[in-house]
Amino acid sequence: MRRVVITGLGSVSPFGLSAEDFWRGLMSGKSGIGPLTSFNAAGFPSRVAGIVPPFRTSDYVPKSYRKATKIMARDIELAVVAADGAVRSARLATRGMVEVFGGAQALPTGWKVVDPTRVGCNIGAGLICADLNEMTSALIKARNPDSSLNLATWGHPAEPGKTSGMENLTPLWLLKYLPNMLACHVSIIHDTQGPSNTITCGQASAGLALTEACRTIQRGNADVALVGGCESVTHPVGLMRWSLLKRLTTTGNDDPAQACKPLDKAASGTVIGEGGAVLVIEELEMARARGAVIYAEIAGLGASATGQPVGQCDATGESMAYAMKKALSEAAIGPDEIQLIIPPGYGIPAADAADIKAIHQVVSSRPQPWVVALRGATGDCGAGSQALDIVAAAMALHQQTVPPGINTLHPLDGINVPHAPQTNSPLHHVLVAASSMAGQNSTVLLKKYR
Amino acid sequence: MRNRVVITGMGWVTPLGETLEEVWKRLTSGESGIAPITLFDARTFPTTFAAEVKNFQLPERFMKSGRHREISRATGFSLEAARQAWTQAGLPEAGAPSAAAVDPYQVGIYLGSGDAALEFVPFTTTAISSWDDAASRLDTVKWGTRALGVFNALREIEQEPCMTANHLSMEFNARGPTFNCLTACAASTQALGEAAEIIRRGDAQVMISGGAHSMIHPFGVTGFNRLTALSTLNDNPSRACRPFDATRSGFVIGEGAGVLILEALAHAQQRRANILAEIVGYGSSADAYRVTDQHPEGRGAVVAIREALRDANMKPEDIDYINAHGTGTKENDSTETQAIKTVFGPHAKQVPISSIKSMMGHLIAAAGAVEAITCVLAIRDGMLPPTANYAVPDPECDLDYVPNKARPAKVDVTMSNSFGFGGQNDTLIIRRFSNSS
Repeated sequence: MRRVVITGLGSVSPFGLSAEDFWRGLMSGKSGIGPLTSFNAAGFPSRVAGIVPPFRTSDYVPKSYRKATKIMARDIELAVVAADGAVRSARLATRGMVEVFGGAQALPTGWKVVDPTRVGCNIGAGLICADLNEMTSALIKARNPDSSLNLATWGHPAEPGKTSGMENLTPLWLLKYLPNMLACHVSIIHDTQGPSNTITCGQASAGLALTEACRTIQRGNADVALVGGCESVTHPVGLMRWSLLKRLTTTGNDDPAQACKPLDKAASGTVIGEGGAVLVIEELEMARARGAVIYAEIAGLGASATGQPVGQCDATGESMAYAMKKALSEAAIGPDEIQLIIPPGYGIPAADAADIKAIHQVVSSRPQPWVVALRGATGDCGAGSQALDIVAAAMALHQQTVPPGINTLHPLDGINVPHAPQTNSPLHHVLVAASSMAGQNSTVLLKKYR
Repeated sequence: MRNRVVITGMGWVTPLGETLEEVWKRLTSGESGIAPITLFDARTFPTTFAAEVKNFQLPERFMKSGRHREISRATGFSLEAARQAWTQAGLPEAGAPSAAAVDPYQVGIYLGSGDAALEFVPFTTTAISSWDDAASRLDTVKWGTRALGVFNALREIEQEPCMTANHLSMEFNARGPTFNCLTACAASTQALGEAAEIIRRGDAQVMISGGAHSMIHPFGVTGFNRLTALSTLNDNPSRACRPFDATRSGFVIGEGAGVLILEALAHAQQRRANILAEIVGYGSSADAYRVTDQHPEGRGAVVAIREALRDANMKPEDIDYINAHGTGTKENDSTETQAIKTVFGPHAKQVPISSIKSMMGHLIAAAGAVEAITCVLAIRDGMLPPTANYAVPDPECDLDYVPNKARPAKVDVTMSNSFGFGGQNDTLIIRRFSNSS
């Protein structure tokens, strides 16, 4: 079996626009959650969020592709920025990077040109909601006096010489919102012509996307892949949906940094976020031959479904435990060889309890691993959440440091949560687990490369 | 040693009907499922017709549990399609005696299902009434306050593309690896290919796979109309979709679901299942060209087709029939023809190719699944469905498109192509099952 390693990390999070910023933020022990600033949310009970700092997408694409940034929804922009960070950290001279550096001969030392047909792209995505402001600016051109939409003038001009309502939408409007456009834009910028997929399984998307891309490398269909997931839920429709689903805490508006308390006895709900990550994963021999920095090795993967209705977790923890055990058995290791687990840890009491049930079915032995959930730091970024978790796992192994459990001051019974970075004992394996609202589970087991 | 992957059950809900045999009979008679839109008032839209699933009602059996109350149209299609497939495969109902039951963790799901429609009237009315004319922008405070009282939590979350898999997981007690991919029009071909890979590597014994989608709603038609991708031949809906014809002018939106039961050969044989066909090849690629256009020489399509052949250890001469992506747009059909010629060389002229989108429209994410089922039925009956509405040859499309009339033929190996908006391409090769190979 071909071995697959992680050689590049790019991320977008409330802590910044790179994986280094993200890691530094986690190590600081302070939450990235603040007041919800992306729009006026005064009409909602929860008004806090993890917001990515301002950026210009055109700074992250080669000149020849700047025009295309006009047809990128926020989720796509996040993926483009994360992918830029990933290929830079992997020193992968994709077409986009060659253009940025002004030609193959101008590449810094250590950068390697890759065969585009051997590079895949697999980026998890959410349901990208149309920008409300943009859409409504067109809808009002075909409104009835009672504020309903006039379908007739939406479809056809009311009088000759005028425009129909729909003509107020840019012709390429639909393309901004197709979930596969995260992978498609990234694949064009970096010229990745290998297998390309878009997994849309909510918060489990990134791990499942990594799984699928890893399998294409293992079976020989590709040597390298850009993988991950990105999403922004920090828009009015996202906040409306998650409010109605009663996922959000409503007690943290005065103290956003403390709003989401994952795996904590005082947890009262999660918060919305935006962000995600793109990683470069690569066949081991290729990575070694080009002298790449190896952050971690992908040791085992698991997936399962809860079979429960939306919004209800698998209270037994059984299905998640199955996915975790699958990852362990693929890696041929026992539970006592895991030093850190990063579970979903939304800060929603019932879901957190299910996470711990699952962990206990897998890890009953001593010494107990550290358990660190990141939603208190970043919020729930939908398809981006597990991508951030995987980056944290890779950084933890690379830096041999367990990040602190931000906002888990009074952990639920039976788990060890560090309150400060831990560097005392070696880290060999880190297990990342995610569970979507729709019941898809994904586990990724990383190990220190040796 | 990888597992062989066989198909043991199939089901579909389509614009041409809702049973395997009824739809197949219509396809092979060249019937059209395309007609004026009834799901909303589209009379003033640039395109006024589509291929709708007619009078769909969710079967009673799905209502009892109360778990599927607020499902989307496409999820409803998928439940019925999956029920047909599960029944044909002879798999035990949930709650069957334990001797017959399959380990739920050995049953996975891999769908290429699309996101569902917004709740159109509440959504547009709430948006319009929250517009601040003076500031010329949406007042999000107004919108938020209203929206929380207007929208229904379940109907909102049911729009997520992963919800179809959630409902199949509950209905069939499938707890194994569960995926939904949404690679536009290539999604369910990709789902079938990747589901087969999951069985090949032993991560599940049974996969419920395929796709479901409906974009026949005002914003769906708006989106494609703005892209000028749809045929606007409003006077003649049943003749509007003309794949490979010189007068083709765009695709026709369809809706529906196709679900197949894939199974490890040993598992199927052990329970003496009736084996319908075998999945032997899968290829996937990206154009990496433009989000608005296919690569003009079909670069990505060529790679997907070649990879599928390599995966199946086959030569172009081994392929008896190609079920084309064949959307009926100017661009797709000539590019696809070019790609087939590039891979097949002189043999391209010998292979019959047809597009059932000429009759059932383009089921978008679900298209690949119904086309895979069509391939299995073509093998079963030695019958090729036609490309309907073919009249005027196009010099850029000069292959054998099985024009207008179904054709009896020896069919052992079929290829099915799907190419998505944005440049993701997938090809699947399905073969007549033979124990020896």
